Amino acid sequence: MRRRDALKMLAGGAAALATRPAWSGGSSPADEFFIFVHAGGGWDVTLWADPRTERRGLIEPATASNTDTTGLKYWKHAGGSFEPLTSRTGLRLGPGIGSLYDLRERLTVINGIAMNTVSHEDGTTFSTTGRHRAGGAISESSIDVLIANELGTSQLMPLVAVKFPSAFVGERLDRRVVPLRVGSVDALTRSFARSSEYLHNEDREDITVLLTEEAHDLAIESTHPAVFEQLKSQHAALPKLLSGDFAKAFRAPQLQAAYPQFEYRGYQGASNVAAAFAIEAIKRNIVRCVGFSLGGFDTHGANQRQHALQLQELFGTIAGMVKLLDVTPHPTRRGAKLSDHTHILVVSEFCRTPQLNPNGGRDHYPNNSSLVISPRFRPGPFGATDLEQLLPTDAGEFADGRRPIAPPDVLATFLGAFGIDPRRYMRDGEVVKALLV
Amino acid sequence: MRSMALALLALVACQRSDKPAVIAPTGVVIAPRGELIAPAATDPLPAHGFVTLDTSLKARRRAVPAEVVLRAYLGWFGGLAPREAFLRARGNDLFDQWSYYLAALGLPDHHVDAPRVSQSNTVMLATMGRMGEALCIRSIERDLRTRTTPLADRVIFAFEPVVGPDRAAFASRFDVLHRTFLGYPATLAPTTRTERFFALYRAVAARHRGGRLTADETAWAAVCTALVQHPEAWLY
Repeated sequence: MRRRDALKMLAGGAAALATRPAWSGGSSPADEFFIFVHAGGGWDVTLWADPRTERRGLIEPATASNTDTTGLKYWKHAGGSFEPLTSRTGLRLGPGIGSLYDLRERLTVINGIAMNTVSHEDGTTFSTTGRHRAGGAISESSIDVLIANELGTSQLMPLVAVKFPSAFVGERLDRRVVPLRVGSVDALTRSFARSSEYLHNEDREDITVLLTEEAHDLAIESTHPAVFEQLKSQHAALPKLLSGDFAKAFRAPQLQAAYPQFEYRGYQGASNVAAAFAIEAIKRNIVRCVGFSLGGFDTHGANQRQHALQLQELFGTIAGMVKLLDVTPHPTRRGAKLSDHTHILVVSEFCRTPQLNPNGGRDHYPNNSSLVISPRFRPGPFGATDLEQLLPTDAGEFADGRRPIAPPDVLATFLGAFGIDPRRYMRDGEVVKALLV
Repeated sequence: MRSMALALLALVACQRSDKPAVIAPTGVVIAPRGELIAPAATDPLPAHGFVTLDTSLKARRRAVPAEVVLRAYLGWFGGLAPREAFLRARGNDLFDQWSYYLAALGLPDHHVDAPRVSQSNTVMLATMGRMGEALCIRSIERDLRTRTTPLADRVIFAFEPVVGPDRAAFASRFDVLHRTFLGYPATLAPTTRTERFFALYRAVAARHRGGRLTADETAWAAVCTALVQHPEAWLY
C-alpha cells in the first residue's frame, strides 16, 4: 500500500469516528437476531436481580418459611435468608437466577428502573415501548417492532410475537413488520397448515401470486397505497410459509422433541415451546425478532412461595437458549456462532413489594429490573435501589439532571447499541453509554 | 384578436361618449350619438383543455376489523352461525376449531391475554385463507357436486358449470362470483382481473385429473379461494 493511500484511509477512519453520533453503539448489520422475553405478572427482583437478605425498612426478605426452597439450585441458607451469588463482573444475584448463573459473566442486569406505575397493562406498555399508556391507548411502538423495522424487513417473518406485548403504532413503519402475534406456536403452524386432499401447494402458490399482483395494481391506482402494499407484501410472503416444511417443522411436538433441554412440564408448561421456536426459526434464518411471554409471576397470595422456582424456570429457559446459540452456527456468516449475533432482552411490568402481605404474597411495586444478554452490552450491574424501600436511586446524569434510569432509557440504549437513533421513534429516553461496550 | 379589437373600440367609444349606449326593445344597440349598431353573432368561447375529474376515494383505505371479515365470510357462505361454519368446514384436514385461531385472526383472546390486533399480518391472511379455502371447497361440494341443488338455492356457485370453459364461458361465471365477493361486475374491475383469474383457473385445472373434485371443480375452488382473500374484500 502506498503511503498516500494509507494516510487517506487513516483520515477517512478519523472522520468516520468524528461523525459517529454520541448515541451510536456500533453498526447495524441486518443479520443480527433478537429475542425479547416478557415475564408476565411482575417479577420479584429480590429473588434474582436485586437480592435482599436482611429485614430492613420495608424489606422482608425471602426465607425458608415463606419460600419453597426445595428444587432451588442455588438456594443456600445464610442468616435466616439466602446467600447471594456473585460474579466477577460485580453482580449480586438471588437464587431465582437458576442455571443462568452459569452464564453470569455475560449478563447485564439493570436495577432500579423507575416504573411510576403498578398497573399490569401500563407497566407492560412502559417496559416495552418506553411510554405510559395514554387513556388506555398505546402511544409508541414496542422495541421489537422498532428493531424489526430497522433490521428485519427483508426477513420472511420480521417479527413473531407469541403472547409478547408487541405494539405497532404509527404511519412511518414498514408494514412488513406488523407483528405476527399469536397465542401459541401451535396457532402459528395451524394457520399455515393446509389440506392436501383438494388444492395442492402449486395451486396455492398461483393464488398468492395472483393476489400479490392484484394488490400491486391496486396500490398503483390508489391515492393511499399503503394498505394495498401491506397486503401485497404479506401475500408475497405466504407461498414460502404454505409450501415449505414450515408447518411440520414448527409443530409443537416436533419442537419439543428437537429441543428437550427446555422444561415443558413445569410452571410454564407448553409456553416454553416458544423458546424452541425462537431457536429453530433463527437457525433457519426466517425471522429477525421473536418475542414471547412467560406468565404466572403475579403472586399476590400463597403462590409467592413458588415465585423463586418460577424464576428459576424462566431463567433456565433463557440459559437453555443461550447455550444452544453458543453451539449453533450463524446461518449466513461463515465461522460465526449465533450467540455472537443474537441479543436477548428480558423485561417485566414492575417488581413486587419488598414486604409480604397478610396472605403471604407480594403486591405490585413501582420499581423494576431488566436483563440483557448481548455482545453489545457491558456485562455487570447498572443502577440501584435504596436499602430500605427498594425504590430506584439516581443512576447518573441525564439530560434532565440526575435521576434513576427508566424504561425509555433502557430501550433507547438497546436501539443505540445497533446504531439506531432512538429519536427517530421514541419521544423519551437516552442512550446510556455506560451500558454499552 | 378580432374580439379584442372590438372590445378596445367599444371601450374607446364609451370613453368618448357622454351618455351610455342603450338597448332598444328590438335588441338593436343604439349608440349615444344615435347611430345603430347591427347585431352580430358572437364568437364561440375559446376552447379550454380537457379537465380530468379525480373521482377516486380520498379517504385512506383501511383494513376492516377481523370481526367484519369473519361476518363477511359467514354471510357469503350462506348466513352461517360461527358454529355452523366450523362444522361445515372441518374434516379432511381443511379446518378445525375456531378457538385455535382467535389470536391469529386478530381477535382479542382473553385466554392468553392477547388484545385485538389493529393491522393485518401474514398469519391473519393465512388463517383466513385456510378458512376461505375450506368453505369454498364445501360450497363446491354443496352447489356443484350435488347436482340436485337448484340454481336458486346455490349459495356461491349460482351457475351451471361447463367442462373446460373458454374465456367467454369463464367470464360470465366468474362475474357471478365477483359480484358475490367484491360486490360489483368483474368488467368494472380496475385491472385485467378476469384474464388473471382465467389463467389461474386453467393452471389449476391442468394440474388436477381425478381426486375428490373434478379438474373444473378444483379450479373453481381455487378461483373462489382467491376471491375471498382479494385485497378489495379486506378494505373499506
